[in-house]
Amino acid sequence: MSRIVLVAAVALAALAFPQMVTSNYFIHLGVIAIIWMIVAQGTNVIQGYTGYVTIAQGGFMGIGAYGSALLSVNAGLPVWIAILIAPFITAVAAVIAGYPSLRVKGHYFAIVTMAMNMVIFIVLVNWIPVTGGDAGMSGIPAPEPISLGGLEINFERRVNYYYLVLAALALVMLLVTAVVRSRVGLVLQAIRQNETFAEAAGVACWRYKLFSFVFSASLAGFAGALYAHYLSFLSPAPFSVDHSLNAILAVILGGSGTLAGPLVGAVLTTALPEMLRIAETFRLIIYGVSLVLVMIFLPRGLVPWVADLFGRFAGGRKDAEAENR
Amino acid sequence: MLVDLIQQLFNGLVIGSIYTLVALGLTIIFGILGIAHFAHGSVAMFGGYITFFFITSLGLGLFPAMALAMAVGALLGVGIERIAYYPVRNAPPINAFIIALGLTLIIEKSNLILFGVDQIIIPTGFTRVFNIGGVTLPELRVYILAIAAVLVIALTILIQRTWMGMAVRAVAQNRPAAVLMGINVNAVSMFVFGLSSALGVAAGVLVGALFAVAPGVSGGLVVKGFAVLILGGLGSIPGAIVGGLVLGVSETFASAFISSAYKDVIAFLLMIGVLLIKPEGLMRRSAAR
Repeated sequence: MSRIVLVAAVALAALAFPQMVTSNYFIHLGVIAIIWMIVAQGTNVIQGYTGYVTIAQGGFMGIGAYGSALLSVNAGLPVWIAILIAPFITAVAAVIAGYPSLRVKGHYFAIVTMAMNMVIFIVLVNWIPVTGGDAGMSGIPAPEPISLGGLEINFERRVNYYYLVLAALALVMLLVTAVVRSRVGLVLQAIRQNETFAEAAGVACWRYKLFSFVFSASLAGFAGALYAHYLSFLSPAPFSVDHSLNAILAVILGGSGTLAGPLVGAVLTTALPEMLRIAETFRLIIYGVSLVLVMIFLPRGLVPWVADLFGRFAGGRKDAEAENR
Repeated sequence: MLVDLIQQLFNGLVIGSIYTLVALGLTIIFGILGIAHFAHGSVAMFGGYITFFFITSLGLGLFPAMALAMAVGALLGVGIERIAYYPVRNAPPINAFIIALGLTLIIEKSNLILFGVDQIIIPTGFTRVFNIGGVTLPELRVYILAIAAVLVIALTILIQRTWMGMAVRAVAQNRPAAVLMGINVNAVSMFVFGLSSALGVAAGVLVGALFAVAPGVSGGLVVKGFAVLILGGLGSIPGAIVGGLVLGVSETFASAFISSAYKDVIAFLLMIGVLLIKPEGLMRRSAAR
């Protein structure tokens, strides 16, 4: 019950956010934060629920972004269609990337995916006739205006784009919730707990791992498409390994394997550097230090920690301890 | 054509010997602690920077500067093990990996703050060029190959012939049994981190002399190191040596005969191909034996 109230309150706050803030700049931050929430939620499926860390989310975001931009600019497809096709393009790339890399486990899977991100990045920089190289691509159109009951909604306005990405996030949340609560989600968590045992119980683990990897990647691709049509300009820089690490940090900070964690983490990784107003270099050092500290002192992330605190406060020690089991 | 091939083979072996040094450090850490020490490349770059600093500011010669830098690197490695990895030694391996990512950010960006964004080339004074039957052998590259060979042989002797090396091998083979035999696993962990960081620093110095030390080099270096481990088999010392040379040579051939912009792509495709065909690596796993 209290959970439903909390979710409703957060949803209301998110809806009211553009009306409460006065500056366009905060709405811009809101859009970026929501796009990162989608990426982080995707990362959470493979990292938090399946237990495999991927360092390719930034690259897959790039595939979705460039895919959607190229479809709308060069192929002349309507932007709405392009945004919807982008996750599928990313999924195809993820199947090709995931099939060989899922043969290794743990650290090595992470490293192979990082090599893939580097490959994607190298291609984005060097395939100049298509991607424009380091100079980038400009003039990417925003989604076409739609009219709703005689009212025309123009997505070149920031507020309207904010509501668009918010709706996209709601869709992603429904999808991810459905997946992790389904039988497939249970199998993924079984793989995280003990892959050998799951395999011995007759589960063809590789199929589920591949599904999890591809699903995560296509959410990143979807977020990338939303990003491309929001900024209307693309260069390879935002799709480097650093940004894949950012997605991992968001999941770890918020709490991996929880639905709310990545959302909190994405807000923190977007808002903190803006609030601290510091140079990029120092920001990344602070990221590194916070990763190490969180891993040593709060390995489960902020959301489960806060939930425990509240549990202890409201329901006494016993409940909180029972939930820990 | 034959001369071309021999020339590229030589160039590839030089680069491959550097990859081998990086991979050896990674493989002994993996063999002992099961950690993918991702910050290794940043440690290597740090070594390149301080060697440059020792040469230009303290006026040391190349080899004393390199030795001093390796000692500093070893201390840094021990510090990393104590402060960052030791607290999570009993947690799931993923935690150590995420710590490794955090360390990478910290060391990499500290390098940027301490030493600036400009790339630096470590001055060596080795400028002669030998020419044997049409194959050019720059003196610097010959020395790099020789230094790498000396370090690899020294490491092998250390691991195979000394008491500490025996302790390292024992922990790699069977940790609980090693503990029961009275081996101090903490000391072994620190020793391994010190040793591999010193090797990493040496690799960083060679990279700095051959190409340059610059921000952004370390990521590529460490990924190449791990690619070597995947090629050669995780935790295997012979695998790291063979894998490093194979990667160096194939990368050089690819950039000479196919495309230099995509040479890294080709190196990674090689790694993925090995994963598909022989996931246990070219040399079967023999855990630092």
